[in-house]
Amino acid sequence: MKIESTFKIKKGLAEMLKGGVIMDVVNAEQAVIAEKSGAVAVMALERIPADIRAEGGVARMSSVETIQEVIDSVSIPVMAKARIGHFVEAQMLESLGIDFIDESEVLTPADDKNHIYKHDVKTPFVNGATDIGEACRRIGEGAAMIRTKGEAGTGNVIEAVKHMRSMTDGINKIKTSDQNELMSLAKEIRAPFDVVKEIHELGKLPVVNFAAGGIATPADAALMMQLGCDGVFVGSGIFKSGDPKERAEAIVIATTNYNDPEKLIEVSKNLGEPMVGINIDDLDEAEKLAKRGW
Amino acid sequence: MKTGVLALQGSFYDHVQSLKLIEQDYVLIKDTSDLSGVNSLILPGGESTAMIKIQENNDLFSGLKKLIESGIPTLGTCAGLILLAKDIIDGETSLGVLNTVVERNAYGRQNQSFEGLVDLLGNKEMYCFIRAPKILSYEDSVSPIATIENEVVGVIENNIVGLSFHPELTNDNVYLNWLSSFLKDGVNVRSL
Repeated sequence: MKIESTFKIKKGLAEMLKGGVIMDVVNAEQAVIAEKSGAVAVMALERIPADIRAEGGVARMSSVETIQEVIDSVSIPVMAKARIGHFVEAQMLESLGIDFIDESEVLTPADDKNHIYKHDVKTPFVNGATDIGEACRRIGEGAAMIRTKGEAGTGNVIEAVKHMRSMTDGINKIKTSDQNELMSLAKEIRAPFDVVKEIHELGKLPVVNFAAGGIATPADAALMMQLGCDGVFVGSGIFKSGDPKERAEAIVIATTNYNDPEKLIEVSKNLGEPMVGINIDDLDEAEKLAKRGW
Repeated sequence: MKTGVLALQGSFYDHVQSLKLIEQDYVLIKDTSDLSGVNSLILPGGESTAMIKIQENNDLFSGLKKLIESGIPTLGTCAGLILLAKDIIDGETSLGVLNTVVERNAYGRQNQSFEGLVDLLGNKEMYCFIRAPKILSYEDSVSPIATIENEVVGVIENNIVGLSFHPELTNDNVYLNWLSSFLKDGVNVRSL
């Protein structure tokens, strides 16, 4: 007897990615560099967040050719982004054989009220969240993995830190609440009761939680791991830096050895220029990607 | 008695959870210096390519290989099986201590990943196969210990056990009892 794509199997792949680095790539060449540098998975997309930010316009799912090319070039899992609420992009990614779908605020949303109902798709989903309520809503819709939204394409880690701290506070609040308070708490954070109850029982999120959005250096990756993330996504930070291969390897080593300052120093030497980065205060409210998602 | 759990990347905390359930002391292994005093080993699931890359600089696998060859009980699940196997299709040999030929991701991509009813040493249980490797063949010194629909998905050779699935995500009592005796007695444990 074999049963495919159960929630345990979807969640299970995310468990296998723990302690690892998932890297944004726009073509097969970058995907190969990422795999050789020790990435646990690659995220195939048309333009990296820093370029989406600079160039503007509507950002959509990658071209079928790009995705196919990336799938064919590496043996590690391949993820790809679909627009928020764009269930047809998700259906296409599922048919293409993608291993994980990121319903991502980095792309231009396709629905201003609804996210995709993810339970019906065979492929597991990862969703961004800024706080525990948002994480619970996404898990309720079927997300098998959560990541902080951070502020993608800025090379600035402050928003990811803010989201991670907010998530931890939220989990602690649910954990320490009396069970009589759970329904009221669920109402307050606009979260499905069942998910809140599950977090109360487990004392943690029922799915893996990665850091994403603004991680640019080995120290940033280690910071997010010390704050309690299960692993990290690095988007623009690698291929917008002076020496992508060196930086990718350094971030991978830093994510494993996040508690070892000597190793962090060792890998941080001779890394070349990091991406320049943007101060969050310099962004207009409308430019903040983390605000997308409901 | 202390079990070393390879902790470069992957589902090592799930194995730690299994060890806590059987009250077995453990240490996380990230560096050669973590190997001292370890008398059994677990290599977890994850991405084998990433694990190989991460240990490259301090050559952790040489120390690990010596330790396994000294005869201590060693369990590898999924990526752990890939690290142990002597011949890999679509990947590189790393520890090369288990006389099997293993193919990476041979059951397909994530959409083909499944929960399957496995016969592990005579007991049947549903276990997770996640982008799992396939055991294509093995030498005479190797014996099967787990099958699914007559296909071998777990083997033992002396002190080494390799499984293509994830018992650590299920932690059923039969597995935990077996794990407890295997980590203590290793080679002597052939059946439940």
